[in-house]
Order: sequence, then structure tokens, then C-alpha cells
Amino acid sequence: MIMQLTSRPDIAAARALIEHNGLRFEPAFDALYGVHDDGELIAVGARAGNVLKMLTVAAARRGGSLLGEVVSALVADGLNAGCATLFIYTKPALAHSFEALHFTPLAACAEAVWLEFGHGLRHWLAAQQTLRRPGANGALFLDSLTLAEAAARQIPVAAQRVDHLYVFVAGDAAWNELLPLARQASRGVGNAVVVDGGPYRNGEAVPGYFLPADAPLARLRAELDATVYAAHLAPFFGIVRHFANGEPDCTHAILAAHGIQPAAIPSANRSTSRGGNR
Amino acid sequence: MNIQRRGQAGTMQSSDLMVIVEPAEALAIEIESTVKKQFEHLIRARIEAVLARHGAERLRVSINDRGALDYAIEARLTTALQRAGGLS
Repeated sequence: MIMQLTSRPDIAAARALIEHNGLRFEPAFDALYGVHDDGELIAVGARAGNVLKMLTVAAARRGGSLLGEVVSALVADGLNAGCATLFIYTKPALAHSFEALHFTPLAACAEAVWLEFGHGLRHWLAAQQTLRRPGANGALFLDSLTLAEAAARQIPVAAQRVDHLYVFVAGDAAWNELLPLARQASRGVGNAVVVDGGPYRNGEAVPGYFLPADAPLARLRAELDATVYAAHLAPFFGIVRHFANGEPDCTHAILAAHGIQPAAIPSANRSTSRGGNR
Repeated sequence: MNIQRRGQAGTMQSSDLMVIVEPAEALAIEIESTVKKQFEHLIRARIEAVLARHGAERLRVSINDRGALDYAIEARLTTALQRAGGLS
């Protein structure tokens, strides 16, 4: 029977099971569930925010219902905790196990696949329908407090270079700090549209438990976020130009492969002197 | 009958299903099933019958089915509706 694991011995047993199966135990989680058989922990999984991770079934017990049991408990736990959607990041070779449990692949790179429970992305896009604008549009993201003020100052300049400029607001600081900043900076810019970026720029939450300790996690996170943006969000919003705001260079090729031209956020002074050429 | 919040019931284990209901502008039923090709129409009919019985119209129902029988579908959906505040 599945149960939440909270005691020190149970957590230690979970760590042992996870590490014995070649994964790394990450102590940061909101909930940890496991299945015991005759006193032995045989399956485990955790939820950290909207990410399910460290899903492990003892080798001798695979092929049955244990994975579904653990995932069910974690999904229910996440929904009860108010998560709008739930993700799993895993090795590409294991993605099929989660697709069988109705997780939908969102993006993949050489080392990882990003899957979502159900069809949250489709629903999220449908909810943004009223924000769609025609034309050759551009976008920039405000998702980092350290870069947000500088980026916000460039909204009017970037907006001159596209038919409509989407200002995606995402990240932990989105609602309290970034959204007011984006709205203030977009005031008076007739073709700027502020969009709640939703949960699909989730890079900071990507766990590394299934990756080698020296895996390039920052690059992998950026690539997965960029792929979802380029393959799903950008086509929906008609985005053909992306104003970079601190994104790593590795994302440029992904954007270009989807017909999106990366562009540096123009300097206000330089752009003004050039008349805001498009 | 209108639901007030998201409600969930069931599991993704074999012969069971997970049902999630949430408020929506209109009725939408999404079915994912290991036996979708053969039985989607029957699962949908059962869902629609339960919703009609409760007068539920403005919600989205997401079904993640692993081969559940009719009585399980009915019980899980009814429980999800209760948890969503849609049934007294």
C-alpha cells in the first residue's frame, strides 16, 4: 500500500533505493511517497512543486503496477496542493513509461525529455486565444529580477521592430514584481501585449537526479525551455523574432530551427538614433 | 449543478481510472485510455450519463483510463464531482 514517507528511517530507505538504482537523491521535495512490501521499500517517488521526480521501482519488482501507483499518488498530491500542471523530466529511453500513464512529451534534448500530465499546454494556449495578434510578431521574457528592469526599458524600442510585441512574464517573481513592471513599461506602447508566461518556462525546476553529476544542467534547462517556446508558444502567437534577455547562446539554434530570429534587445539610445528600423 | 473547484479521484493503476474535473465555460470531455480505440464511445456515454444525472454542464472532465469497468467510471466521476463541490 502506498503511503507518504516522512520518518527518518523511511527517508533513508528511499535514498538507498534511489541511489541503488543509479539515481541521485535530492533532499528538496514537498512530498515523498513509497510502497512497502513485507517491510521493504520497493517503490518511491517525490514531488517538488510541479515536478515529479526520483521515481524508482526496485529492479525485481518492475513491470507491474507500482509505477502507476506512485505516480497516481504524486499526481493527486500535486493537484490537492494546487499545482496547475505537473511535469516529469526523465531520460529519453524511459519516456514511454510515463507516456503510458498519460504524460505528454513537451520537449526533448539528447539527455532528457520533458513531459506533462495530460494536455495542460493545449488548455493553456486555448486560454490565451484573446491575446493572439496578427502579423510578424516578436517576444521578450521578463523572468529574472536582475535583468527585468533593463529589459522593461527596452519594450518600446523592441516594439518598433515588430507588428506586435509579446512581453512574457514568468518565474517566481512574476506576479508581485515583474507583472507590474511589465505593465508599466508597456503603457502607451500600443502594440505591446503582456502575457502571463504560464508554467512553460520551468527551467529552474528541472531536476538533475537522473543525470550524471557533471551534466550541463544549465544548458539542458535552457534547451528544454527554448524548445517548448519555439515549437508551441511561438507558432501560436505568430512570433518570428525573439529579443534575447540573458538566454544562453545554445538556445539560438533552437529558435532558428523553428523560424525565429534571435535579436539582441536594442539599446534605447542606439535604436532611437537609427529610427527604430525593423 | 456547477462545480466550484478542481476535483480528482481514482488512480492510474490497471483496471482503474483517474478522473479530474474542473470548472469551464462549457462541457468538455477528454478521454485518454489504454482501450481508447475500442471503447472511447462507451466511456464517453457513461461519463455523459453521470453528468446528465447531476445536471453538470460547465466543466472539463479529463479521464485517464487504464481499462476500468463501468461501475468504476461512475464511482470515480461521482467522487470527483463531490470533491469539486458539485454534489451535496
